[in-house]
Amino acid sequence: MSDDLLRSSQLPGVTRFQWQQLLGPIVVIVVLSYVISSISITFTFLTEGTLALLVMVLGLQVFIGNSGVLSFGQAAFAMVGGFATGLLTVPVKIKENVLDELWEPLKAINMGIWPSLVIAVAIGAFFAFLTGLFLMRLSGLAAGIATFALLMVADNVFFNWRLIGPGPQVMPQVPKFGFVDESIILAVVVMVVVYLIGISRRGRLLRATREDPLAARALGASVWRLRVLFFTVSGGIAALSGAMYAHHSGAVSARDFYLGFTFTTLAMLVIGGATSMWGAVVGTIAVTAIGQVLLEFESGVTVGGIDITLPNGARGVVIAAALVAILIWRPKGITGGREFALRLPFLNRP
Amino acid sequence: MIQTILDALSYGGLYGLAALGIGLVFGVMRLVNFAHGELIAIGAYLFIVTIDLGLPLSILIAVTGTAILALLMEFSVFKRLRLAGPAVLLIASFGVSVFLQRFYEIIFGALPLSGQIAPWMTGVMEFGDTTITRGSIVTIILALILLGGMWFFIEKTTLGLQIRAASSDFQTARLLGVRSNRVIGAAFVFSGVLAAAVAFVLVTQRGSVDPLFGVNITILALVGTVIGGLGSLQGAALGGFAVGATISLLNSFLGNYRVYTYTWLFILVIIVLLVRPGGLISNKAVKERV
Repeated sequence: MSDDLLRSSQLPGVTRFQWQQLLGPIVVIVVLSYVISSISITFTFLTEGTLALLVMVLGLQVFIGNSGVLSFGQAAFAMVGGFATGLLTVPVKIKENVLDELWEPLKAINMGIWPSLVIAVAIGAFFAFLTGLFLMRLSGLAAGIATFALLMVADNVFFNWRLIGPGPQVMPQVPKFGFVDESIILAVVVMVVVYLIGISRRGRLLRATREDPLAARALGASVWRLRVLFFTVSGGIAALSGAMYAHHSGAVSARDFYLGFTFTTLAMLVIGGATSMWGAVVGTIAVTAIGQVLLEFESGVTVGGIDITLPNGARGVVIAAALVAILIWRPKGITGGREFALRLPFLNRP
Repeated sequence: MIQTILDALSYGGLYGLAALGIGLVFGVMRLVNFAHGELIAIGAYLFIVTIDLGLPLSILIAVTGTAILALLMEFSVFKRLRLAGPAVLLIASFGVSVFLQRFYEIIFGALPLSGQIAPWMTGVMEFGDTTITRGSIVTIILALILLGGMWFFIEKTTLGLQIRAASSDFQTARLLGVRSNRVIGAAFVFSGVLAAAVAFVLVTQRGSVDPLFGVNITILALVGTVIGGLGSLQGAALGGFAVGATISLLNSFLGNYRVYTYTWLFILVIIVLLVRPGGLISNKAVKERV
């Protein structure tokens, strides 16, 4: 069974550490972030939101890209991260006024953004480890559906259980990041982690299990252990993404991390190319750019004297169509699943 | 009590129909079709838009329209992905699903469109002390007729035999002269017809339709198809039935905690998958090795 999206014939040398593969994407992200966020306050907001999404896509990449197992469940850990950091940082007074059904010890806690981020990541990784112990026994479609079930459970619990959150309402007054720099630093740290863990011995072994599980077992790799490890890392990164989102928008609710979020981030990963860190970066930038242009058109743009206004929903139509077209004509994504190289990505077709 | 049982049966029947529609397509091409929900949605839209023409004509238009959209999906997208693996197909159908949702939003608007399809179905019947909703009876009968019809078609006709053959071993069936594209096309058409039937029941119950109309039932039916047994048509129908009946029973037994129905349902789903990854009725040809 050939699975083009997830199996790739990587060029030789990709498994060795190369400075350009790591620094290239970092430079692109840092420069783009500063340039775009300097345009206006709206674009600063957009940049921060996109960096939170980028972290999510990187989290998906580290698990899906390396293991070849499809997971719809990572948004559940983003939910955990968003709620954790929200509960830890929202001022006590607000919690007493708005979230009156909250568990008492949770009401009393309050701390700064940075320690809270660390705790959110730890909690997300812990939950990923716990669920991964069971879910990583599965592979293929069963894994896809089981992780999807995980997302549904998380959504249902967070949407209804008022002891640990606002239920169907929004948790307001989450302290915001002061500058765009915080988001940039966090995204860069995650890029380094994702790249290094990808080329580490365990990362290469996990990719070997993706290509040929039996041969990898012959090399002494425990498929289950490797997958649990990467699922845990991925869950921690997803939790960081959720937390970044909360500190970016100043509010958090269960439905922020549901099917729409899952679709967008998965589409970003596939469009960019699931098997490389660079693919996650390119996919996030491409989808955001397309979405932003179409958003302008939805609110009306004048091109050469002609008013063009696209109907609401055009954005979703185009992004979904792009996803399907990529799967049909370029199943390994825009980057072909390769890491960054100082060549234009569309010139080095195999 | 009787109402509880009838509800479980009618929910189960409805989800069984949806799951069988997904299972038919899965069987012949390993596609877990997320976009089945948008087939159900277009069926519901067509019912609401054409109901003024009279119910028989409306049914005809809705069933034909849904089947055509199903074929259109196959020709425009899935036919081009014949060599791709199940994970790629799953993501592609996710894309088709979102594409159609947004497309409906552009055509019909984001707000619900309402209309009365068959008002007599929302009434109740009284037998002494017990009252029974007419809708649940009609749903059970409709499900029995369609499941029976599908059973007859799959077990007794040549095309049905070919679908069964293709479901259990696609390559061998092809080598033995089964025309693959025809079989896959037929599976899509029948999944469209089943989607229209589900749309009919749902739209009479709810009285309105919006772009996300089919998402919920599709997620649940899809899960039913998987836990029922991938590649087995009885398994799909049975799995869908199990999911529907479980939801209905959980709803009545959880009482005030019924908001957590999905939590329990999906925990059960994960447990079933862990114990029997191939599904309740597993088909040896689809087993994947870890």
